[in-house]
Amino acid sequence: MTDNGFLVGEALVGEEPEIAHIDLIIGSKKGAMGQAFANSLAQPRRGHTPILAVVRPNLPVKPATLIVPKVTIRNLEDAEKTFGPAQSAVAKAVADAVEEGIIPKEEVEDMAIIVSVFIHPRGKDYQRIYRYNYGATKLAIRRAIEKFPDIDKVLEEKDKAIHAMVGFRINNLKKPPYLEVAFDIPDWRRVEGVIRALPRTDAIIIEAGTPLIKRYGVEVVQKIHQLRPESVVVADLKTLDTGNLEARMAGDATADVIGFSGLAPLKTMEKFIEECKKVGALSLMDTLNVPDPVEVLKKLKEKPDIVELHRAIDVERMEEAQWGNIGEIKKICNNKVLVAVAGGIRVDKVEDALKAGADILVVGRAITAAKDVTGAARAFLQKMGIEEVDQFRVMTDF
Amino acid sequence: MINLDKSAEHDEQKSVFHKKLKLKLKEKGEEGRIMFLKDYLDYLIRNNKTIPPDFPAFVREIMGLDDRAGSIHIKIWHDESELVEFAINRNYKYRVDHYD
Repeated sequence: MTDNGFLVGEALVGEEPEIAHIDLIIGSKKGAMGQAFANSLAQPRRGHTPILAVVRPNLPVKPATLIVPKVTIRNLEDAEKTFGPAQSAVAKAVADAVEEGIIPKEEVEDMAIIVSVFIHPRGKDYQRIYRYNYGATKLAIRRAIEKFPDIDKVLEEKDKAIHAMVGFRINNLKKPPYLEVAFDIPDWRRVEGVIRALPRTDAIIIEAGTPLIKRYGVEVVQKIHQLRPESVVVADLKTLDTGNLEARMAGDATADVIGFSGLAPLKTMEKFIEECKKVGALSLMDTLNVPDPVEVLKKLKEKPDIVELHRAIDVERMEEAQWGNIGEIKKICNNKVLVAVAGGIRVDKVEDALKAGADILVVGRAITAAKDVTGAARAFLQKMGIEEVDQFRVMTDF
Repeated sequence: MINLDKSAEHDEQKSVFHKKLKLKLKEKGEEGRIMFLKDYLDYLIRNNKTIPPDFPAFVREIMGLDDRAGSIHIKIWHDESELVEFAINRNYKYRVDHYD
């Protein structure tokens, strides 16, 4: 079934505190799998003693299955749960997998299984521990044999899924257009009020504007993430010097996107972009007052993830929207860049901006100073053709 | 929760206009305000909430507020502001007045 290699399966089943989490490997005794099995059995570690799964005392299951507790067993109560209902459930699941043909019966003597079992110390209900571990083990075996998931499934889900124990996910901005709501109001309680009133959708990015950061420090990003853990938060630093230092500070404050000025020295910009990669954030080049953004981009060895074409608040009322050549910017960056447009974006400009190729529309006071913040944001989303979707969908794909 | 104002219900559309959180201190005077600030900080720490970035200014604001019949009036911008959550969690008598 596996030649001399092994297959890997995983499953999470049930509710806390009895929730079962199984990681397992299944494969030939002749290869690495057999070696790991023997090593594990011969070298028990304190609190993680491996045991053979048995259908009943003196009747080990086939294929030979070794159970390794994930959580340190501290006392007899913990030991009873692992060596009682969990151990029995794993053995029954393996035996049933053979009976049902999931594991080929003729190969059971050549194979071995190592099952890593999680039992929460607060789990008390033996019925639930048994049932959840039985279900999770059988599911993990089936998944291992079927080589679930295939790589296309992983690539499809990686930007959608929310980890059950994290509650949010990293949004890498792969599905433009986005509406970026820029907060330049240097009043935290007002910012808090506006953020709470924004519709909850993946399509909204929250920007901690430069005045807000200057007033409260870059830590304000962390507080925004507390209010909206699922949202992409931009730290608009407009960095001109000490690129790596400032990018690191914003990264530590949990910023998803960190902005530097296109007027900064090339070295600063490159260090900034490099540091953003290190901290797992996207880099944004702000072109405010940059005479020719395309020329700057040509000189950069490493390109930013986002280029923001930006008109200053002080001049936006005097000038009509001019976003420059978005197509040229994307070409220079091998079409691996998002282009944001900022300054004087109103609902009636949305269509023009999107037609010009903008991926992100940055809107400030048109939303943050609106009496009906929810309605103002929805008007933009609607004009951008974005439907509000439930971003907290629960994965039920077992 | 002890909400003094049952009429302060709001519809689903969330307008953002400043509101006033009228909160009854558990003790009068400066001691009451210090106790309130300690209680707020305690609430944030115990609930694993990030300290609000305006906390130093908030402390100055609270200590400088007039005490009106044992209540302080704090400007907020949303009915579900963290300060309202705190008032509910720590059993303060409060009322939110709307101006929109």
